Amino acid sequence: MNDYDNVSAYGTTRGRASTLSPYLNFDPSYLDTQQPEFIFPEGASRQRGRFELAFSQIGASVMGGATIGGATGLYNGIRQTALAGHTGKLRMTQVLNYTMKQGANVASSLGVIAVMYSGTGVLLSLARGSDDEVNTVASGAITGLLYKSSAGLKTCLKGGAVGLALTSAYCAYTSDRIRNFFK
Amino acid sequence: MEEYSREPCPWRIVDDCGGAFTMGVVGGGVFQAIKGFRNAPSGIQRRLLGSLVTVKDRAPIVGGNFAVWGGVFSTFDCTLVYLRKKEDPWNSIMSGAATGAVLAARNGIPAMAGNALVGGVLLALIEGAQILISKIGSEQFKPASPMDLDYVKGFAEGSQQ
Repeated sequence: MNDYDNVSAYGTTRGRASTLSPYLNFDPSYLDTQQPEFIFPEGASRQRGRFELAFSQIGASVMGGATIGGATGLYNGIRQTALAGHTGKLRMTQVLNYTMKQGANVASSLGVIAVMYSGTGVLLSLARGSDDEVNTVASGAITGLLYKSSAGLKTCLKGGAVGLALTSAYCAYTSDRIRNFFK
Repeated sequence: MEEYSREPCPWRIVDDCGGAFTMGVVGGGVFQAIKGFRNAPSGIQRRLLGSLVTVKDRAPIVGGNFAVWGGVFSTFDCTLVYLRKKEDPWNSIMSGAATGAVLAARNGIPAMAGNALVGGVLLALIEGAQILISKIGSEQFKPASPMDLDYVKGFAEGSQQ
């Protein structure tokens, strides 16, 4: 007979009390295993702030734009050089030029849009003191207006409307608050 | 918590690319704004317009160059971390050299070697400055050695008679 035969898992029946751990004598209903338990530093919020997410959003836009633009440029380059009848090293150089030029253009355009969106989002959340979907929608609209601001009033307003529509759709699709509001 | 502010390695590349792009756009934007302002015809409205047009044209290009540099550097850095299984300044220096070489690849081998040297030296300077700053910053946490206290010194000397 070993020492632990007449002891339950929580040590409520004390056989050889001196060999038991002092940590085993509590009521297990004190443990709340439904909610995930995380440790947060002082004053930290539950979600990642806008500024932390900003760089990865910008980087993802740049890299995604480079991929899309590069693929488009590759396709165009191969078509154009085939039409023009180029071969060999000249063709390779031309295709490379098309790819890199188109890739750089789309990458920097998407990157600038991402910088504007993140920048206005961070500024709005600092100015308002709180972070919610209004910031997202407003910075989307402002980005659209700003990006097309030098192309005339009508295009500017169209850009703002596109930005507003995109961010509103994103918020309607992913935001928990708006979903609960409509339940 | 400073040590957790950087993402783990594959996602670090995207972060660094974005950070470099932002630096390029903001810095390049300021620089090109001043350049465009100065190169425009006289009259404040034309100068401001010239500044705006130059920023619109050139700042994304500068941002793109910075982003390419940052992305390639971070890729090499993460590759070296994976191969060497440790994180130290040597990774950064070697990545800087490799990035310089890769970005000059269109200009032939001597240009690649020269650019690699410049990149490596630049990163060595940056890492050296970081090590210096962290060394100076950690002086405030140095525990006092008991041998420095006066009565202990006197005690030690006295006991040697």
